[in-house]
Amino acid sequence: MAKIKKATKPKTLIPTASMSDIAFLLLLFFMVSTVFVREKGIRVSMPKAASIEKIPRTHAATIYVNRSGTISIDDFIVSIPDVKWVMQKKLAEDFNLLACFRTDKDTSYGIMSDILNQLREANALRVYFEAKLKR
Amino acid sequence: MLRRKRRDTGGIPTASMSDVAFLLLVFFLSTTKFDIKKGLGIVLPVASQEATKKVKLKEENITKVWIDKEGQITVISGGIDEQVPMGELEKKIRKIVSQNPDMVISLKTDRKSKYQYMVMALDRLQAAGAEKISLSTN
Repeated sequence: MAKIKKATKPKTLIPTASMSDIAFLLLLFFMVSTVFVREKGIRVSMPKAASIEKIPRTHAATIYVNRSGTISIDDFIVSIPDVKWVMQKKLAEDFNLLACFRTDKDTSYGIMSDILNQLREANALRVYFEAKLKR
Repeated sequence: MLRRKRRDTGGIPTASMSDVAFLLLVFFLSTTKFDIKKGLGIVLPVASQEATKKVKLKEENITKVWIDKEGQITVISGGIDEQVPMGELEKKIRKIVSQNPDMVISLKTDRKSKYQYMVMALDRLQAAGAEKISLSTN
């Protein structure tokens, strides 16, 4: 009787020893590359809107206004007449400046109108009203 | 004959190491929140001496949207006053803008009105495709 040799199946194995190395590498990459954006402005709850667009962060100067009418531009509390020169100074540093409002939804519009007039006088004409996406 | 003592070989189990690492990875991936700024954009008019001379607009090219301190909206178009609820503002403005693309929408908000109403109305105006929007107050 002739002996039929069985074909030996090649064994396929995925090396799993370095799996943890890969995972840790990814983990370290994400941990190192994550930048926590921390803004120190005042506490506001923003209004909601549907047709909002993305604001380029690099040129944005954020103006915080809370419901009691306190105005803060980049961690400095300012009064309404000072908004003009603060924004003029910022505009001199960055020509493409965007004024970005983070105003509490319950703030009265009178204060906002006064600030907008100050912005017009400072020639900072591109304005964004920040809002949360309405779902 | 002396029996040799068996020594315990100390070892850390490494089989579940990848599970731990992936768990941490998934945790960081799912909890990382990107803080992206989003909002409604508008370009203000210049406040120079020449610009303060009023630009004359034809009365038929202006639609006034008036928000009172309670947040009620009145649309004044072609001399007709009409109270419009927030939900129907978009439809109303869309109709007006489609009839006259040169229409300037003047959004006038009461000084005592809440900022939220103005943003909601501005959002509706922009959603309706109005391109010429001016902001004013009393």
